[in-house]
Amino acid sequence: MTTVLVALAVVPLLAAVLALLPGRLPAPAVSVAAVAAGVTSLVLALVLVPAAAAGPVAAGFLRVDAISAIFILATAFLYATTAVYSIGYLRGEHQRADFARYSRLFWVGLNLFAWAMLCAPLMDNLALLWIAVEITTVVSALLVALDGTRRGAEAAWKYVLIASAGLGIALLATIVAYSAGASVLGPGYDLAIAPLLGAGPMLPPSAVRLAFVLAVVGFGTKVGLFPVHTWLPDAHSEAPTPVSAMLSGSLLAVSFYAVLRYYQIATAALGGDFPRGVLLVFGMLSLLLAAMYLIEQRNLKRLLAYSSVEHMGILAIGTAFGAPLAYAGVLLHVLAHAAAKGNAFFGAGVLVRAYRTKDIERLRGGLDRLPWTAPLFLLAILALSAMPPFGLFRSEFLIVAGGLGSERFVPAAAMVALVTLAFLGLSMATTRMLFVPAETGPGAASAPRREPSAWMVAPMIVGVVALLVLGLHPPDTLSALIAQGAAELEGAR
Amino acid sequence: MTLHAITLPIPVVQALQVLTVLITAPGINGVIARVEARLQGRRGPRVLQPYFDLAKLFRKEALAPIGASWVFLAAPLIAMTCYLTVPLLIPVLTTFPLPLAYMGDILGGGFILALASFVIAVAAASTGSPYAQLGASRAKTFAAITEPVVLFVVFTVALVTGTDLPYALAKTVRASADQIVRPAHLLAAAALFMVILYETGRIPVETHTGTNEFGMIEEARPFEHSGPYLALLRWGSTMKQLILFVILINVFVAPWGLASDATLVAVGLAILALIGKAALLGAGIAVIDDSFAKLRLFKITEFVSAAFMLAVLSVFTLYFGGG
Amino acid sequence: MGPLAEGVAAPPSSYAGLTTGLAVLMLVIEFGMLQATLLRAQVRLYAAQSVVISILAVVVAFARSVPELYGLAAFSVLLKVVAVPLVMLRLLRRTNQEIAASRALGVASMVLLAVAVAAFGFFASARFGLAGPVLPAATLAVAVAIVLVSFVLMIVRRDVVSQAIGFFALENGVSLASMVVAAGLPLILEVVFLFDLLVAVVVFAVLIRVHHEQAESLSTETLTELRG
Repeated sequence: MTTVLVALAVVPLLAAVLALLPGRLPAPAVSVAAVAAGVTSLVLALVLVPAAAAGPVAAGFLRVDAISAIFILATAFLYATTAVYSIGYLRGEHQRADFARYSRLFWVGLNLFAWAMLCAPLMDNLALLWIAVEITTVVSALLVALDGTRRGAEAAWKYVLIASAGLGIALLATIVAYSAGASVLGPGYDLAIAPLLGAGPMLPPSAVRLAFVLAVVGFGTKVGLFPVHTWLPDAHSEAPTPVSAMLSGSLLAVSFYAVLRYYQIATAALGGDFPRGVLLVFGMLSLLLAAMYLIEQRNLKRLLAYSSVEHMGILAIGTAFGAPLAYAGVLLHVLAHAAAKGNAFFGAGVLVRAYRTKDIERLRGGLDRLPWTAPLFLLAILALSAMPPFGLFRSEFLIVAGGLGSERFVPAAAMVALVTLAFLGLSMATTRMLFVPAETGPGAASAPRREPSAWMVAPMIVGVVALLVLGLHPPDTLSALIAQGAAELEGAR
Repeated sequence: MTLHAITLPIPVVQALQVLTVLITAPGINGVIARVEARLQGRRGPRVLQPYFDLAKLFRKEALAPIGASWVFLAAPLIAMTCYLTVPLLIPVLTTFPLPLAYMGDILGGGFILALASFVIAVAAASTGSPYAQLGASRAKTFAAITEPVVLFVVFTVALVTGTDLPYALAKTVRASADQIVRPAHLLAAAALFMVILYETGRIPVETHTGTNEFGMIEEARPFEHSGPYLALLRWGSTMKQLILFVILINVFVAPWGLASDATLVAVGLAILALIGKAALLGAGIAVIDDSFAKLRLFKITEFVSAAFMLAVLSVFTLYFGGG
Repeated sequence: MGPLAEGVAAPPSSYAGLTTGLAVLMLVIEFGMLQATLLRAQVRLYAAQSVVISILAVVVAFARSVPELYGLAAFSVLLKVVAVPLVMLRLLRRTNQEIAASRALGVASMVLLAVAVAAFGFFASARFGLAGPVLPAATLAVAVAIVLVSFVLMIVRRDVVSQAIGFFALENGVSLASMVVAAGLPLILEVVFLFDLLVAVVVFAVLIRVHHEQAESLSTETLTELRG
């Protein structure tokens, strides 16, 4: 198992280094390496699943318990599918003047981004966790600006400023957590997570409370919780599509992982009420804001970005319910959202590539024009709206059930109502895009009925399959992993 | 009776305080002008020149603008009276409080100084002359920021000592060197120094010696007065300068060299020490005069805001930080 | 030196006074950044603030026998006093822009706002009552105030370089807080934090250059396209 952990931490880095080597390598070698790294990471993550379901796996400062295994699995899955998608995506960018440099930077960035996101749940150390999240910020900020447009520069600047400021607060949270830990475990305490959880009730309550609130505000900036979500729609819509997919599908989740760790510590030290209250407030506000903004959205990728805000709000609310069912729902939601959001962005990317616009009003007649992508995109949107039989339905059902079970009736009802509102917004836009036939002027030739690339369709099919599996019948080892993760969030170790 | 044993009666010491300030104030101005000239490579006027200027002004004819009210003529006298009252309250020469010192605390002293400034501003406004009114309105505008600064500075020191009688403040500060280097105290002293620069019309707020009409604040207010009235106003402003110096030095920065009893020797040494310390501070101000340029008028807001910020910080540092 | 009178607050020890004084000097420099007009002046003020925090680290290391802080001070100087200002100044030279863009508020309003925010920071940290072994509690209050005033700086200033400097000043505030609360944090972690800052600086510089290429100015007042 040690080799698995170390390999997970090293493989994407190797791919990044490979992409850095100057052009002696034939062009396909770089993309093949990236895909290989992605698939390898996925395989390694799958290998970890049964091991982590039994108990934590540790090797030095790397440590994987059930919670981290879930996030690693989600990230690795998205890494693999995005790498395949990127091959097709880059095919369409050939007309750029600086294509060689663009594609090289793209692959290096993608691999580094995935590496940092895979490392974060691996770390057994709050400081290293912070550093990993900071690395994801800087790498993804550069990736957002990669297209070289003015709006991309604006989005990247806003993103890096707000996210870095938030991470500064998160650093304060780390330091306060150190102070709390050192007061019990001695000044040699090195910010390891497991001992801190062990010391639970002995930690000084005001310090832990402060650390938790700072962590929620600080890391919450990267999760996209209201009110520090303002960078999210800009960054996710202006980045290249594969980057957007990983930003929405994985990065938000990994940042939420950091919040979850602090939640664990806070629950161990303070009991559940205070942390849950804080998370409930932030989650509800994010969900409300996202639902409202989804109704009148004009930009396709911004639509999906607000949907991400919605789902992160759901994650926070689910955690705030505090019941084992809800925890299980949250963990399943992480997996399902990664697959669904990835699919949605993949489809959106194809739509944007085919129609050359992100404006929903100008995207018409998708089903006629894109025989594969349009239905798959429709399925992704349905999945995001928590339609059965997809995985997100099961996870949100579990969350609501957990909420009702722990007698949080009003928040559960509010959540259902707001999710329905979000569904309205998403479906209105999607049906207009896909079902309404395109208006063709007199004498204009109708657009070709052709997929831009098969490379871009295949990952979507894989994603849909994954969603169906998660929704209909998750494999037993996966269910065991989720159950173990819920138990860990409850406080078992 | 030996020289050492001669003890001055307390009323004499009290009067000496006022007289010292009255008589040496123009001399400090002379010192500053001389040092500044030397720094600029000139020989400069003699140190006693301000006295000769005052004497000359007393001999001249006094004119008043048509339509100026009685305030115009009364203001220099009122101001002078105020400036003669304040030295009674602050530790000019002695470490022990003199009988009349309990007439007012440091807030009272500040109030009297503000009264003098107010009266001069009203007199300037009553003349109808554009320059005088300009100076008066500017002075009062900036005073809206500097007066709170002085209050905060006073609060800082008062929080430390639990009282705001100037003599008690000085005694506490004298008690240990740690009191002087504590951050709150340093910040308060810095803020007070910036206010002094403003109140005495030095760089970077005004050019003291030039006739830059459009930049003048303090200097423009006596524009219309002449003859003995102008002499009284000039004298009064030098006394205000020395009083502020005395507050800064004897309460904040260097409260040593004061007489601890009423013997002639001690009081005499105290007078000399006061002149020496004030001259040193004046020399420092001359160096600042020659090192910086005058700020543009709207930048003076930034200057006084900086003083305000320092003063507020000193209160916070003291109150919340115990520093 | 007679005994102090009734009700007089005892002065802090010279160590506490010195360290609190240095911390307050950092806060004063922070206010100076709010008022600075030239972008170069802001960068230099940041360098000055970093010098002060390095001196503070050395003082603590000397007086409280925490030898790791010597190394930390050395790294701080190398990174924050030399490297970061060099990067920013070179960037400014390339873009040929010296003056800060207009602020959202006037100077006096900004100072008032910053003072109010700093007051809130002082109140809040007194309320939480965290203290550390090596530095007095007042220093933590000042650190929180520095962090909050950096936020004001980032929000009120309308150009990218000022916002970047605001972020770096925020990191200085967090470093100061870490010195108070976590002076024993293993050195390796502190060094990694610093390298992380370096990486962030490089990214900031790159993005500023990209922004400048696209928008032909360093002002963020034109960043209004992405809305809704």
